[in-house]
Amino acid sequence: MSVVESTTRHFIEVMGTVVTIDLFNCRDRDGAQRSLERARELLHEVDRVFSTYKDSSPLSRLRRGDISLGETPPQVADVLDLCQRAKSLSAGWFDPWALPGGVDPTGYVKGWAAQRALDEFRGLDVSGAIVNAAGDIASFGGPTGTTTFRTGIVRPDDPQRLAAVIELRHCLATSGESQRGAHLFNPFTREFASAVASASVAGPDLGVCDAMATALSVGGHDVMVLIDVMDGYDAMTIDAQGGMRATPGFPIAND
Amino acid sequence: MKRSPIVAVGTVVGLASVLSFHTSPVKISLSAATSSNTSLPTTTRATSSSTTTPPTTTTPPSTTTTATSATTHQSTSSTASTSSTPSTTTTTTTPPTTTTTAATTGIRTVTGPLVNYYYGELSVKVTANGKKITAVTIASINDGGNPRSVQIDQYAIPYLEPEALSAQSYKIQSVSGASYTSAGFQMSLQYALKKLGI
Repeated sequence: MSVVESTTRHFIEVMGTVVTIDLFNCRDRDGAQRSLERARELLHEVDRVFSTYKDSSPLSRLRRGDISLGETPPQVADVLDLCQRAKSLSAGWFDPWALPGGVDPTGYVKGWAAQRALDEFRGLDVSGAIVNAAGDIASFGGPTGTTTFRTGIVRPDDPQRLAAVIELRHCLATSGESQRGAHLFNPFTREFASAVASASVAGPDLGVCDAMATALSVGGHDVMVLIDVMDGYDAMTIDAQGGMRATPGFPIAND
Repeated sequence: MKRSPIVAVGTVVGLASVLSFHTSPVKISLSAATSSNTSLPTTTRATSSSTTTPPTTTTPPSTTTTATSATTHQSTSSTASTSSTPSTTTTTTTPPTTTTTAATTGIRTVTGPLVNYYYGELSVKVTANGKKITAVTIASINDGGNPRSVQIDQYAIPYLEPEALSAQSYKIQSVSGASYTSAGFQMSLQYALKKLGI
């Protein structure tokens, strides 16, 4: 028996990128429109507050020392608090305070924002939803009759092709040098360098996944062992030679 | 040092983990539906995009029928924009069993509208054979010589292609990868796909 699946894709252009939102088998168009509107507002608000490209954003002003943390919107302190936790979880490998140019929580914010945007769709009559913020994915549910989304991870040496397909439950973030040039900062050596070509982290919260993927990129195996003992989180790395390593629970699809 | 206790805790946790943990090498074989999809086309600039398979029927470039958002600068008029949200664009992919009004047979090429992205304007060109996408290329890009757009050309756009191309061969719903996505690419692509009835 074939089930007719319907997928609705929406685009939100924000943060210098495009966030795609896919709704699966949505039976409430008006509700979806209201949720989209809230998600759009939320993402634009995050961009206004946290953009490091806009000189006038509260984060930019904080970084320059123009204003104190107490003078920023409360979500700045919230995010920095979450960043501190992620720094502890990663044993210091994820460290927004070590970056040259002042505190930069960008490595956490994109995932955190996508996760919150996804929450706007939870009450809807859908079988599942995906928020994909330029490759960092938050989701719930799946196509009809499933609780996972088949998700590809691109090859770092050839983004035209896939390295793996996983059965995604909740969130997945991938970090690596492959597509942005050297931007990953090693807080211990204080150099821009990464240990692996691609680092993916799957788990229940995309902000944490995002931060841990950044940490895994620069820390390699040292961070892999930390993620393995984190409840609900799993990881996979691809090295420069294409060798892949994963924690036992990483949900690679069998076919 | 503020970092020391954190590192120390991390080291203890790490050490304990190392003793009882070893990562496993992963062996994966991806089975694509057809072999042609395992090697996806390379992104080409406007100058070389004409090297894709010559279409037997060519649908004219999308000019006036696609929905556009208020913030998306488009040189042509919009006739289908009903959204009240300035930068949220919505498109619906109809299930394969649903009949669409667009022609869906033969090899066809459609160029999406010129849309704004972070560093300028671009449009994409999509070639399809029936309902199967065979190529996604950049039809035109105007970046005003911004050096950062070099990154877009070299990295972001090639990243965006596999989602369009491999989604059909691997039956996947999404793609993850380190990226700096070019806003606009997907938008132009989506319009082109809609024109193609895919």
